[in-house]
Amino acid sequence: MIYMIHINNLSYRYPDGTLVLDSVSMDVHKGEFVAIAGKNGSGKSTLLRHMNGLMLPSEGSVVVKGMDTIDSSFILNIRQIAGMVFQDPQSQFIGMTLEEDVAFGPENLGLPQEDIRKRVDMSLQDVGMQEYKHQTPGSLSGGQKQKVALASILAMKPEIILFDEVTSMLDPYSRGEILGLITQLHENGTTIVYVTHRLEELVHADRLIVMENGRITHNGYPRVILSQGNVVDSGFEFPPVIELAKRLCDSGFIDPACFPLSREKLMEALCQLM
Amino acid sequence: MDDLFLSFVPVNSILHRLDPRTKIIGLMLASICILKASSFMEITLIMFVFLILLFICHLPVMHFVRSVRPMLLFFAILFLVQLFFTEGTVIFSFKWLSVSYEGLVLGTIITLRFVFLLLFASLLTATTSPSRITAGIESFLRLLPLKHIGISSHDFAMMMSLSIYFAPLLYDNFRSLRDAQISRGLDIKKEPVKAIFSISIPLVATSVRRVEEVAMAMESRCYSGIGRTSMYVMEFRRMDYLFYLLYFFIFSFFTMPYFKGYIII
Repeated sequence: MIYMIHINNLSYRYPDGTLVLDSVSMDVHKGEFVAIAGKNGSGKSTLLRHMNGLMLPSEGSVVVKGMDTIDSSFILNIRQIAGMVFQDPQSQFIGMTLEEDVAFGPENLGLPQEDIRKRVDMSLQDVGMQEYKHQTPGSLSGGQKQKVALASILAMKPEIILFDEVTSMLDPYSRGEILGLITQLHENGTTIVYVTHRLEELVHADRLIVMENGRITHNGYPRVILSQGNVVDSGFEFPPVIELAKRLCDSGFIDPACFPLSREKLMEALCQLM
Repeated sequence: MDDLFLSFVPVNSILHRLDPRTKIIGLMLASICILKASSFMEITLIMFVFLILLFICHLPVMHFVRSVRPMLLFFAILFLVQLFFTEGTVIFSFKWLSVSYEGLVLGTIITLRFVFLLLFASLLTATTSPSRITAGIESFLRLLPLKHIGISSHDFAMMMSLSIYFAPLLYDNFRSLRDAQISRGLDIKKEPVKAIFSISIPLVATSVRRVEEVAMAMESRCYSGIGRTSMYVMEFRRMDYLFYLLYFFIFSFFTMPYFKGYIII
C-alpha cells in the first residue's frame, strides 16, 4: 500500500505552550477517503494544516509523498501535491475575477500562459463554473464560492485534497453539491482528507479518524466506529439516521458489519427487515 | 456586494482587450491634457473623446455616474470657491457676495477638469482588472532600479493588487459592523466618538484576521514571490498601436501651441 501522508508522533504547541496535538500518528494511503471528525478545539484543523506544510510540528514528523514538511526545500512541492480547501470560501479569494483567482496557483507554479489558461478553463468546467469565469467573487452564492475555491486547488493538479469543514457555511443544497464533487474526485483516484463534525457526511469515507483533545481516539471503518456508539463521548450528536441505525444495531436487528450510514442504506436495511 | 466605486466591470469590449500599459499611458496623457485644458473648446474635445470611449467600452453610463457621485460635494465646493473668489467683470451680486464672469468660466472649467480626471480614471479601473493594472505598473517599475534599494517590483505589484482587492471588502466589512452596532443600540449621530471606537476596533481586528486568512490561502497555493508567471501575457496588438496613434494626435493638439493653432484655423 502506498503512503501519501505518514504522520509519526506529531505534537504541536502554540507559542504560549498550549498543547494542540498530542503524539498523533496516522497514515493516509493513495486513493483513500479519510474523514477526520471531532468537536471544536479537538485539533482536527491543526492536524490538516500540518499535512499541507502550513504548520510545522513542534515534535514528530509529517511526511507527504516521501517529503518531510520540516525540510523547507520541499514545501512548495508538498503544497502542490496536497492542496487545501478552507472553511470560509470568501477568505480564499485572491483574484478579482474567478479566472484570475483560479489562475493564482498555476501562476505560482511558474507555468506558461497557455497551460495556465487550459488549467483554469478545465478546473472551472470540472466544478460547473466555466460560464461565470469573468464574474467577481462577490456576485456568487456561498456554494458557488466554495466550488471556485475547489477549482482553484484542482488547477494545481494535486494528488491529495485536504478539505477543512468546507460545508459548514453552506445550505443543504450547496452542501450536497460540494459533497457530490468530492465523491467524484475520490472516484477518479484523488486522495481525500476530509475534516468535518457532521457524521452524516461520512457516507463515502473509507476510514474515520475521531479526535479529542489533540489525540486520536478512534481510527477505523466509519460503520464499525459508529455502530460501537462510544464516539458519543467525543462530543458528537448523532444525526437521526445514524441514531436509528444504532438503536436497531444495539437491538440486534441490523448486523454491525452492514451498519447503514445514509438514509438510503437505512431504508434498504429496513426493507430487508420487513 | 454592490457595484463599488472605481470597481472593475468584466465585459468583452475593445477597451477591455487593450494592453493594460496602453490604458495606463492613455490615462497619464489624458490627465496632462485635462490639466492643460483652459477653454470650453478643449473641454468639449475631452468630453467628445470620453463619449467615444464610453461608447466602445460597452459599460452602462450609470457606472460612471456612481463613480462621480461620492465626489459631488468636493466638486460643488471647488466650483463655488472659484465662482465667488475670482475677480473680474461682476455679473451678479448679493450683499457682500459677487459673481464674476471670469469666476463662472474658471469655476466651470476647473470643476469639469476634475470630473473628467475622475471619469478617465474610472474608465481605466472599470475596463482593467486590478491584476492587469498591477501587471502593467510592474512592467513600468521593472524599468526603474528598484532592486538596488531592496524593493522587488513583483512584491510591490502584488501588494498593490491586494490593496485594490481589499478596499471594497474593507468597506463591506465596515457596513456590516456599522449595521451590527446600530442594531445593538448605537446612535451614530448622538455619540459620534463612541461610534468611531465601536466600529473601528472590531474593523481592525476582523481585517487583521482576514489578512492572516488570505496570507494562509496564498501560502497554501504555493505563493513564494519567486518564479511566478502570469495568465496574461502583455503584448501590444494592432489596436494598441492604433490607440498610440490617436494619443499622438490628441496629445499634440493639447501640448503644441503651433499645431493647436493650425488645427483651429
